Amino acid sequence: MTPAELSAVTPGRDLRVPFGIALAALACVAPLFLGNYPLHAIIIALIFLLPAHGLNLLLGYTGLLSLAQAAFFGIGAYTSALLAVHFGTPFYVNFLAAGLMAGAIALPLGIPALRLRATSFVMCTLGFVIIGQAIAKNWIGLTRGDMGLAAIPKPYFALGPASFTVSGTIGFYYLVLSIAAIATLVAYLIVRSPAGQNMIAIRENETLAESVGIPTWHYKLVVFMISAAFAGLGGSLYAHYLTVVSPLTFQMYYSTTMLIIVLGGGAGTVSGVIFGSLVFVGLTEALRVAPELRMIAYGLFLLGLVFWFPSGFAPLIGRFWSLLETRR
Amino acid sequence: MFYTIIEQVVNGIISGSVYAIVAVGMTMIFGVLRAINFAHGEYYMLGTFGAWFAIEYFDLPYPVAVVIGVVATAVIAVVVGNLVMQRIVGASAEAGVLATLGVSLILQNTTILVFGGSYKFFSGGYIEPVSILGLTLAEQRVLIIIVGLVVFVGLELMVTYSRMGKAMRAVSQNIECCAVVGIDVRQIALWTFILGACLAALSGVLTAPVNVSVYGGMGELITFKTLPIIIMGGLGNVRGTFVAAMILGIAESLVATYVGLQFRDTVGFATLMLVLMWRPHGLFSAQARF
Repeated sequence: MTPAELSAVTPGRDLRVPFGIALAALACVAPLFLGNYPLHAIIIALIFLLPAHGLNLLLGYTGLLSLAQAAFFGIGAYTSALLAVHFGTPFYVNFLAAGLMAGAIALPLGIPALRLRATSFVMCTLGFVIIGQAIAKNWIGLTRGDMGLAAIPKPYFALGPASFTVSGTIGFYYLVLSIAAIATLVAYLIVRSPAGQNMIAIRENETLAESVGIPTWHYKLVVFMISAAFAGLGGSLYAHYLTVVSPLTFQMYYSTTMLIIVLGGGAGTVSGVIFGSLVFVGLTEALRVAPELRMIAYGLFLLGLVFWFPSGFAPLIGRFWSLLETRR
Repeated sequence: MFYTIIEQVVNGIISGSVYAIVAVGMTMIFGVLRAINFAHGEYYMLGTFGAWFAIEYFDLPYPVAVVIGVVATAVIAVVVGNLVMQRIVGASAEAGVLATLGVSLILQNTTILVFGGSYKFFSGGYIEPVSILGLTLAEQRVLIIIVGLVVFVGLELMVTYSRMGKAMRAVSQNIECCAVVGIDVRQIALWTFILGACLAALSGVLTAPVNVSVYGGMGELITFKTLPIIIMGGLGNVRGTFVAAMILGIAESLVATYVGLQFRDTVGFATLMLVLMWRPHGLFSAQARF
């Protein structure tokens, strides 16, 4: 093959790397030229990126449609908030505890739920959200019910005698950016590992995967837990960023949002999820003028996605790359 | 004590009838379209709003308002059915979930945009108390049970004897074969969807005088109650859905009285999860469709 043919087969391989580096560099210097409000939008997008990466592992790679992300998001937010409010533990402790808690709770929930097929599994995961919200509302001694937990301290780090608090939008931006970058790297390493290949095998044909010796049940359970842990970590960031949590953190809205980010960006691609979260949050922020109009537009967006871009924006990006390639 | 239990069971049967009328439409839609309709509660809400509008702005009597509510919903269902539901025949499960969630957001927020987000008072209905076998019930509640029975007997007759009903059953059993023998699957899907939406609307206008308040977001709660019912009843199984709706109605009523009102809305999903652990395909087989 000539070099031209090779680059047609692997479109834009040499373009993607510089583009990624440019994007990363742009992300690092963004606070220099962006105001507080756009930064706030990007922070939300980066926070949502974590649960979305989790859902992508579950839905995009393993083929399990789950609506439970909001439940684990809420569990993470409450875990983090309770630790911070009652024990004043440093941020990294709350953050990791939120992820661990969500992942640990996913184990007993996943064992019965993952035995179910398709629609029943979806409903069961939706049930986690509804029941999580009921617990947050009614376990008043722990969660203060509908009043929620307020005055969650801004993230502070303490190592030995040194300690510092992340306050202000710019500080939080860099904190979330670095966490999102690490999370993206972790997601990328998972899907690029042999485990990622096995997950794809389960998505494509579970019976066949089982017959060639992949322990599909263990894979599904572990991926469910990892995806819950990702959601819990996102919830922790959300709680520390907004400094309040309430039963509304357990809303179907968050599950739907994660679904849109993953399916909109392109399920089964890590870069698609990043793209999806930026586009989606950008869209909802741009539509903030009137909440009802915003939700209507959100609904129309969903329909457009289903009927015109059934595999998300990922194919569009692919076409964009190949266009650049042929131009060169 | 015993009297209270009986009273709660009767209340449970009444709310069970309401759930059954909503859920039977949803389960038939699932049978034909193979899609969970996340917007189903919105047709319940639209029916109620239609009737409320007729009473509030035109001062029409309740029975006329019922008809207007159902017809208005049918018109909207024709539009949604043509634009959205027909296109998800044979699409993936994700497509069905996303598209119906989108429809739900659009219907709900358009209603809020037009009528405002506040709670509205629904006047109308038959609220005089009647005494039956020592139990005192509002007339409206008796009406709900009667309509529930009529709807189920009617549906049973329709799917057994009418041409359309037979076609619906056939499509729910095997789409490909129906297409081969020349049944217009998309047309059947559309009619099933419109029928389901009308039943949801009917249930909404029947319940409105009991619930008294009307608001744009009311459909969501109904959707979340209907989902566990149709799974428990075996997706696409009409009789199973009826039994599951009754079980849920009675369980909710008892939980609200003896455990706490705040736990009422979680009964459905909690029961569903317990049932699914024990029987992963629901209480009733999904094979015995319609």
